[in-house]
Amino acid sequence: MSALGKVVRSGVGRRRVQSFVMALTTLAAVTSSVLSLGLLTVVQAPFDHAFASRDAAHLAVQFDGTKAGAAQAAATAHAAGVTESAGPYPITTNLDATVGPDCTATMGPGLPFAGSDAPPAAVTTRPDLAHSPMDQLVLDDGRWPTAANEIVLSQWPYDCRGKSVVFSTLPGKPAFVVVGRANSLTSTATGFVTGAGFDRLTAAGAHADSQMLYRFAHAGTDAEIATDKQAIAAAAPAGAVEGAHSYLTERERATGNAKVFVPFLVVFGVLGLFLSVLIIAIVVSGAVVSAIRRIGILKALGFTPSQVARAYAAQALIPASVGVVLGTVFGNLLAVPVLNGTSHEVGAAGTQLPVWVSLLVPLGTLVIVGVTALIPALRAGRLPAAQTLVVGRAPKAERGRAAQRLAARLPLPRAMSLGLAQPFARPARAALVGGAVLFGAVSATFAMGLETAFAHFQDQRTGGFNAGSLVVVPSDQTQSGPGPGRVRNPNDPDAPHLDPARVAAAIASVPGTKAAFGWGDSGATVVGTPAQTEVDTVYGDLSWTGLELIAGRWYAAPGEAVVSDRLATTAGIHVGDTVTAVQAGKSLPLKVVGIDFDTHDGGQIVTTDAASFTAGGLTPRIDQFNVQLGAHVSGQTWSASAAAALSPLGAAPDHNMGGNMSDVVMVMSALVATLTLMLVLVAALGVLNTVVQDTRERIHDLGVFKALGMTPKQTIAMVMTSVALSGLIAGLIGVPIGAALERATLDPMQNAVGMHLPASVTHSYTPGLVGPLLAGGMVIALLGALLPAGWAARSRTATALRTE
Amino acid sequence: MTNPPMIDLAEATKKYDDGPPALAGVTLTVAAGECLAVLGHSGSGKSTLLNLIAGLDRPSSGTVTVDGTRVDQLGEAGSARFRRASIGMVFQFFNLLDDLTVLDNVLVPAQLAGMGKAEARRRAADLLGSLGIDRHARAYPQRLSGGERQRVAVARALMNRPALLLADEPTGALDSRSAADVRQLLLDLNAEGQTILLVTHDVDLAASTAHRTIELVDGAVVRDVANGVRGGVPGDGAARGPAPLPGAGHLAGADTRSGSGGPAGALR
Repeated sequence: MSALGKVVRSGVGRRRVQSFVMALTTLAAVTSSVLSLGLLTVVQAPFDHAFASRDAAHLAVQFDGTKAGAAQAAATAHAAGVTESAGPYPITTNLDATVGPDCTATMGPGLPFAGSDAPPAAVTTRPDLAHSPMDQLVLDDGRWPTAANEIVLSQWPYDCRGKSVVFSTLPGKPAFVVVGRANSLTSTATGFVTGAGFDRLTAAGAHADSQMLYRFAHAGTDAEIATDKQAIAAAAPAGAVEGAHSYLTERERATGNAKVFVPFLVVFGVLGLFLSVLIIAIVVSGAVVSAIRRIGILKALGFTPSQVARAYAAQALIPASVGVVLGTVFGNLLAVPVLNGTSHEVGAAGTQLPVWVSLLVPLGTLVIVGVTALIPALRAGRLPAAQTLVVGRAPKAERGRAAQRLAARLPLPRAMSLGLAQPFARPARAALVGGAVLFGAVSATFAMGLETAFAHFQDQRTGGFNAGSLVVVPSDQTQSGPGPGRVRNPNDPDAPHLDPARVAAAIASVPGTKAAFGWGDSGATVVGTPAQTEVDTVYGDLSWTGLELIAGRWYAAPGEAVVSDRLATTAGIHVGDTVTAVQAGKSLPLKVVGIDFDTHDGGQIVTTDAASFTAGGLTPRIDQFNVQLGAHVSGQTWSASAAAALSPLGAAPDHNMGGNMSDVVMVMSALVATLTLMLVLVAALGVLNTVVQDTRERIHDLGVFKALGMTPKQTIAMVMTSVALSGLIAGLIGVPIGAALERATLDPMQNAVGMHLPASVTHSYTPGLVGPLLAGGMVIALLGALLPAGWAARSRTATALRTE
Repeated sequence: MTNPPMIDLAEATKKYDDGPPALAGVTLTVAAGECLAVLGHSGSGKSTLLNLIAGLDRPSSGTVTVDGTRVDQLGEAGSARFRRASIGMVFQFFNLLDDLTVLDNVLVPAQLAGMGKAEARRRAADLLGSLGIDRHARAYPQRLSGGERQRVAVARALMNRPALLLADEPTGALDSRSAADVRQLLLDLNAEGQTILLVTHDVDLAASTAHRTIELVDGAVVRDVANGVRGGVPGDGAARGPAPLPGAGHLAGADTRSGSGGPAGALR
């Protein structure tokens, strides 16, 4: 090994803690940066690629067959902004589907597929399903239908391939053999039949509409799509447009879960990078300052200035390189769970980040780190040997005397007032401590805000229709009951429902009941909304569940409804609009009076009072009561009491399985916690390094103080106080910055998943949180100073006094 | 009448690593009010002896008792409190805190001990006045001469009215005039009853200031002689410790005391 190599190796070996800190900070920075930049570039690419290769449509518009004929629908191809179009294709939507009796497979013990609910279908036909001019369909398995009794669905149980699907709510209950599975990239339809097959549907009672597919000159944003939709509506007969489905909704669905990671990862990446630069500046300049005499010896031995500079830059670059390599690996590994499940359906998904990201980020980081290290290293190289050799002790503190005088007058123990004035003697070092703490405080504040928002988000998801200590369901629908459970179609005449008035009265009569409300999927569909949309009818007061409104108010009169945020965004529904619920051929207009943050059952929900349905001549369906028990009431005891009262009503208490926590949020929460821990640790270690350096330089003064009777506790108090002020100031600055970053991050995060978060989620920074966060900077500083303070307290006075 | 011993070392040994002991079984008694000079070359064990007495270090074996306290049994905090209450230290290079004024330097021991503010200021003013440096109270140490700085160090050492003053080469960094001032100061203090242990290379200083002188060689006391100039230990009249060894007489040299009493009245 060369002499230079030996110097570098011994330098890295002697400064193990500093080397560890440099590796850790670059690890955090590179992990965040690789992951955020990688996700940013990779998440959308498969969808965009598939969109182009499959000539997908920007917008699919459904025209009411009774108001617009095929020619009128076709004429909209000339509407303003349209560049390409296809159709009209016949389509019938919101068909309740049930697995046919010929499927003998089961989902589990006692849970046969036969008779269970399949996703509602929007069935269409095209002249050539295999070769559409626009929105090319992709066959996932099986084959295209060739006979009138064959169908291809986008979702169908794998175990029931070749078996029948029954459109059970159509008067004729037509059955089709499912011969394959296929998908439209933008979900223009979910079922595909031959022309003759479509005729079978309409003959069985299905309502035939027509669908047009469009591409527009401008369709990059929701606003542009809305403008395009208006142009189409204007070109069609009044009121003919029943619904429209944008490709943006599908892109968001396919990529949103991964894209939601990007905003906060970008913040962590930037914070990590700045912290890396700061820490490396602290460590390398500290190494140079503490090794001035050593540098003089190296030069006396014949080292050139360039060799000295390289030696000190390399001492930073070696651990930084370790962090960079590990960070790149971690970033790529973390991408796997994040990307898993993203855009599988587009057929081009991968769980790998682009190679260029794994090259650019680490190399860029190394360049930044190298430049940062080189500045103090060059200073080391330029130091004159003669001067460095005679440097024996720390320079006398000329600064900070005024601060010492002022501090001495403070009503504080002398050890603390001595410490309080120390930063003023070395303002640059105090600034470095403050800088490290600032980044730690920003990271902690940012992360605490996000974590609080995540927790409130999860609370929301476990509240509302998932709230309650336990539930009351039809007797054969309990977890241990004999029936096929909730997979049964709500419109199935055999599906059991509860008598809401009698069950509510029975529940209220059981001691320990605090609150309860009943609800159920009415089986109604909503015109012009995605097939997954459900209309839930509610019996009783659900205000105790914590379900939060984002806009408007709760329904208060018959004919009013509240729409979930996701449905409102997807279908472009606003407060004041009217939606039409259809149940068994009967329509009920419902005025939207509020948008709520309801995420249960996929989050595409219209909620209305059961009385609204009754008044409109529709049948409300209540098949579950959520029950909240009083404090200290045992669920087991309550269930035992309730069973007797509920049994005659065909109802039984059951566990509430409402754990609807988002896995994505849990992954984000863990990632935020990990990155924050790393950055706060790095910040604290940065403080530690600075205080160690400061303590070393002040060791002689410490010896004097101890000789004068300063106890170990007083020594610790003095060292800790010396960083407390810097920490406090950095905390006071860092908290608003962290809060602003969180605010700026939540908006793009909710945009990524097409959500509008309720106030309880977005208003994270309560006084109860801000108070401790403001003190957090000081805590980080004190944590960082704790070890060197202990070291200072234990240092041998006799040795310290000899340090001249 | 026999004064109780201020310092009592019994077979005190200090070893570092595997090398020869820095202090080898030293037995030594110093009476209250006595001024003892410790002579020896570099590496003889002078500083080790001083550190053991001040509680800055612990003996590997043997006992160290100062002012009735078993210093070798004290922990870090206990020895700090002991130093604060019983020991004043004066160093060759003054060890003043450069970023504190003279007054603040002198106040530090009292402040660390939790003395009342008014009382501490009064005491400091008295000391600075007695030592003739009160006009420098607001100045920073770097602006003072060596002799003045050492007076500040002495004032600081006396702030808590210590039972024992340890002076480690107090004139080693001073010019002859300043050294003479400091020597007189020590004499005055001792005359007022202050027990002093003086570590020095300077045979003249030892002879002129101390009642008794011991010499250390390789960690052992090789000579222990009463100083003929200053006479016996106050109230005792007899030197303590081992009997004088042959050749010890050269330590009791000529009287080099110079000048009359300095401005050190009523220091204790």
